[in-house]
Amino acid sequence: MKKVVSGNKAVAYGVMLSRVQVISAYPITPQTTIVEELSRFCAEGELEAKFIKVESEHSAMASIIASSVTGSRSFTATSSHGLALMHEMLHWAAGARLPIVLVDVNRAMGPGWNIWTDQADSLSQRDTGWIQLYCEDNQEVLDTIIQAFRIAETVSLPVMVVLDAFFLSHTSEIVDIPDQEEVDQFLPQFEPQYPLNTGEPRAYYGMVPPDYYMEFRYKMQEAMEETVGVARNVDEEFGRQFGRTHGLIEPYRCEDAEAVMVTSGTVTSTARVVVERLREEGIKVGLLKVKMFRPFPMEEIKGVLKGIEKVGVIDRNISFGHGGIFAQEIRSTFCNEDERPIVFGFIAGLGGRDVTPAVIEEVIHYTLNKSRPEEEILWIDLKR
Amino acid sequence: MAPKISYKRESEMPLFPVSSGDMTWNRTGTWRYIRPKYEDKTPPCNAACPAGVDIPMFIGLVGEGRYDEAWNVIRQENPFPGVCGRVCFHPCESHCNRAEYDEAIAINAMERFVADQAPPVKPESPSEGMRKERVAVIGAGPSGLSCAYHLARMGYGATVFEALPQPGGILRTGIPSYRLPEDVLDKEIADIQAYGVEIKTNTRLGGDLSFEDLQEYEAIFIATGAHVSRKLNIPGEDLEGVGSGLDLLRDINMGKAVRMGKQVAVIGGGNTALDAARAVLRMGGTPFILYRRSRDEMPAFHEEISEALEEGIEIRYLTGPTRILGHKGQVTQLECIRMELGAEDETGRRRPVPIRGSSFTIEADGVVVAVGEEPDLGFLPADIRVEAKLVTTDNGARTSRKDVFAGGDVVHLDRTVAHAIGSGKRAAISIDCLMRDTGFSTVLGEIRVGEGGTLSVTKYLSDIARMRSHHVVAFDELNLDYFEHAERNERLKLPAPERARDFKEVSSGLTEQQALKEAGRCFSCGVCNGCENCYIFCPDLSVITDEGLLRYRINYDYCKGCGICIAECPRNALSVEKEAK
Amino acid sequence: MKMEIPKEEHMGPGHLACAGCGSPVGLRLALKALGKKTVIVIPASCMSIIVGGFPHSAVGVPVVHVAFETAACSASGIRASLDMQGDTETTVVAWAGDGGTFDIGIQALSGAAERNDDFIYICSDNEAYMNTGIQRSSATPYLAWTTTTPVGNPKEGPKKDMMAIMADHGIPYAATACIAYPEDFIRKVTKAKGIKGTRFIHLLTPCPAGWRIASNEAVKVARLAVETKVFPLYEIEGGNVYTITYQPKGIPVEAYLSQQGRFSHLTTEQMAAIQENVDRQWDRLVGRCEGRLH
Repeated sequence: MKKVVSGNKAVAYGVMLSRVQVISAYPITPQTTIVEELSRFCAEGELEAKFIKVESEHSAMASIIASSVTGSRSFTATSSHGLALMHEMLHWAAGARLPIVLVDVNRAMGPGWNIWTDQADSLSQRDTGWIQLYCEDNQEVLDTIIQAFRIAETVSLPVMVVLDAFFLSHTSEIVDIPDQEEVDQFLPQFEPQYPLNTGEPRAYYGMVPPDYYMEFRYKMQEAMEETVGVARNVDEEFGRQFGRTHGLIEPYRCEDAEAVMVTSGTVTSTARVVVERLREEGIKVGLLKVKMFRPFPMEEIKGVLKGIEKVGVIDRNISFGHGGIFAQEIRSTFCNEDERPIVFGFIAGLGGRDVTPAVIEEVIHYTLNKSRPEEEILWIDLKR
Repeated sequence: MAPKISYKRESEMPLFPVSSGDMTWNRTGTWRYIRPKYEDKTPPCNAACPAGVDIPMFIGLVGEGRYDEAWNVIRQENPFPGVCGRVCFHPCESHCNRAEYDEAIAINAMERFVADQAPPVKPESPSEGMRKERVAVIGAGPSGLSCAYHLARMGYGATVFEALPQPGGILRTGIPSYRLPEDVLDKEIADIQAYGVEIKTNTRLGGDLSFEDLQEYEAIFIATGAHVSRKLNIPGEDLEGVGSGLDLLRDINMGKAVRMGKQVAVIGGGNTALDAARAVLRMGGTPFILYRRSRDEMPAFHEEISEALEEGIEIRYLTGPTRILGHKGQVTQLECIRMELGAEDETGRRRPVPIRGSSFTIEADGVVVAVGEEPDLGFLPADIRVEAKLVTTDNGARTSRKDVFAGGDVVHLDRTVAHAIGSGKRAAISIDCLMRDTGFSTVLGEIRVGEGGTLSVTKYLSDIARMRSHHVVAFDELNLDYFEHAERNERLKLPAPERARDFKEVSSGLTEQQALKEAGRCFSCGVCNGCENCYIFCPDLSVITDEGLLRYRINYDYCKGCGICIAECPRNALSVEKEAK
Repeated sequence: MKMEIPKEEHMGPGHLACAGCGSPVGLRLALKALGKKTVIVIPASCMSIIVGGFPHSAVGVPVVHVAFETAACSASGIRASLDMQGDTETTVVAWAGDGGTFDIGIQALSGAAERNDDFIYICSDNEAYMNTGIQRSSATPYLAWTTTTPVGNPKEGPKKDMMAIMADHGIPYAATACIAYPEDFIRKVTKAKGIKGTRFIHLLTPCPAGWRIASNEAVKVARLAVETKVFPLYEIEGGNVYTITYQPKGIPVEAYLSQQGRFSHLTTEQMAAIQENVDRQWDRLVGRCEGRLH
């Protein structure tokens, strides 16, 4: 059924339809309405779940790690500093191989306090072993949550579903909310591999010496590698069930492009409009949306960008001392290839600064017109 | 012990660190520097008991309500718990470690409690273990009967020859019934006979029976006791109304008519003197005791002295008789002199020295002499050596003739029932050694209890009992954290005025409640009583309950040698040794 | 005279505790009271190493190892999951050290207690960060030596009163316990098991290595802590009903302090000051038992 809902509300619907059993969350702008909606769903009996109103995000993640290992489908949502506070436990959740889903409302890190959209928070966690999926619109948000549980419970890795602060979280869009029965068919009950029960007592997560630690890490990487294929299959199945797919990446008019822009999140929607308009003017530019950031779908990206001369990456983030993170990932994708595009790394939109069509157009023209980037890091729309 | 789980390949490993194996593959016993071990040690009461009774064992059983088993434990060593529980001088209590905490355990009363509720022993038919050898025991007193009893339990045929019409020896003749009722003695003698011991009364060696008649026996045990009263050797001792304490008590116990005066002087400070005085009181006389030393030197048991004083009997210390005066052949007065204490004599006591010019006279129409008793050894063949009026024996109760043994009051000056019983047991063990051609000296070291003369026949017959170390546990070797102060449970006694009327038993026994409470006070020094502290506190689950006699054992695969078990054992029933490397 | 404790064992030997460690004594007794239908949460602590690492575990009930500061919220999470699965029988128990309770774990514990989440939280207190090598915690007693409060720079502050903190959350049951009093401890765990909500037990478990006592002295020293009133045994129900569960002998604290190397540097004046503190705290406790709040 189609409804006009905010991104946060779409999250709540996704969680409810996924029959999450344990939720543990701590409020932080702009995630708060997720927590409020879910509280209301629980209170009104629309969602049968335990909602632990923890006293910090660190406890939120720790408690759902515990509920997940005990055998319950578990969920939390957070943003920015909340996610940062969870950092220790994000490592733990992945190493524990638990199919937890976390929604991160992409928000800048302080100081100073900045509640608007920025990818620093989620990308800071890119090494923790979590699958990361960046959403472009509210429909994708709801759909991705349902898919996330499927993926997580198949590969036994936690999934972070990311949406932009305010642009999605607090912006209402038309979202088709699926029926519970349909979702139930798509997403069966969670069956843990090593159920916790007193009849068959086990110890979980005891000390691991050097003799075995690497093998566990190897298994995690193996699972990550498996995830690309699994996510693709899940998305295809989702398409068959619900009539919509979102892909891991989404190329737009890349076939004969002289330059392809790489974006993620809501910047993608804006960029798509600009690319369409420029194409009408005869400019050969394409757009590649990257949804799946972890695992980084190198083969799929190579498939799209192979033979493309120039790639302009718009990063709404920066890894200090190196540069934009998506740009780094693209560069390393092609590191050992004979044909490598020239990568223009643009930094835009930090701290919620609007990435307007004009900004994107500027970025595209720069990429097309310059043979090489004049600087390693290209700051856009900076007061300089 | 589950094996250690080990993975060779990543594909064998679970998805994430999840453990199903236990840690029993990890034998932490290799960490030890020191090793604890269960080692029962000797409690001071057991060591002090001349009869060798395993006191903490029997008290522990009383505490569990297992009275018959407690009775059997006592009777492993001592066939006379009912007797001893009334007349013993209880050195066990004097050595009891609890005395340093609050009050000694009422062991004597506990022994009596156990005996008083025990049923008679059912006579057994001779078992297959019967040995062919037969032993003749001369004298059915505590020493002779103890020897016969132990021999019968070892499978020997024992025949006891007793000169008097009734068995019991000094128990029958020398202890009045207000201390030892007849039926108690009869029951315990019958219990001994139930083991197949034959008693032939009215048979005197040297009269009805000669030494040559005993040649058919493979061994002979002489236990004729000391029944000849020593004389004062003062003028007037042959007057009418002068008699010995032994004779008086024997006549009373045998039911003979006794003539005695009203004002009766009892000379002496031992049990015989006290018993004689108290008997005189009960027969209507007014006894008073004269003793040449002070109260501290009186050899009589403290309780006896206290009870006599409670009954109103006067004791005049540091007083000795010098002449007995009479009129028409009857005693009328006693001339005495005051004494003071001088240097020590051969018994270690200070010698009484008459004070010149302190003579005085007291009225008395009866004099009872109780200044010691001696054995009558005239019946012995010449080759059996006698020194200082005692039969010479070695540490195995052996006389100078190979198959003749002796014990009790004929061999030593410890004139107590407990010593007699212990002595008879020693002879029984030694006789068994002779029959088996084993040297008694070779076993002596193992069957001793403590450092004194106490022997244990249980140790003689059982390897497990020998595992108890000889170390006597001292008070400061206990962990008193597990004990609360509690008053000693005392027997009731008849009030003093009531006592003097007849020969009814003065003491009653403990009630069951009292016995259980008193058992709870026993520290069980050195002897494990299953309190389980070791098991409760072991951090490594290395104390295993054992089904056998030893109660617990250490699992040395895992014991890390922390020593908590040793520290928390209230009674020092564990020891430590260095771990062998 | 014989202490009666349940016989069934729920852990096995071969674990990695130091010889004479008080902690496994406590865990073993607790498990006897708790029984098979128990899940134990163990944060980083001595115990997380003692029970053994992958792929073995010395404990016969499910154990979930968790991050240092997360014992309480993990227990909350497990409880939530068990409730969702309809399991009302399994008891969730957190077994944390003093570090994971008094310091880094206090936030999660306070949060859980405020929510009155349904689990038993047992703090096995050895009065310092022993697993990492004897560093001070806020459970370290006044003037005790640790590697971070060396003799020249002793711990000036008192031991944090965790019981008071827990009581002030209004939880249904809080109690102190001590390994030297096994029956009392087992009774308290059994009692806690029958109560719903957050239940807190503060268990004293001496550490021979860190307290500088011999390996055979943990039980004896634990007993002295109680008998000298340094560590009284009491319960707090509903946050305000205090009951002393064992009447100590009231031996002077010197008997307790002089046993331990970590106090060997104390002067007579310092011992007297400690005695004064102990006496004052005891009076306060007695007052609370009698309903007087100060």
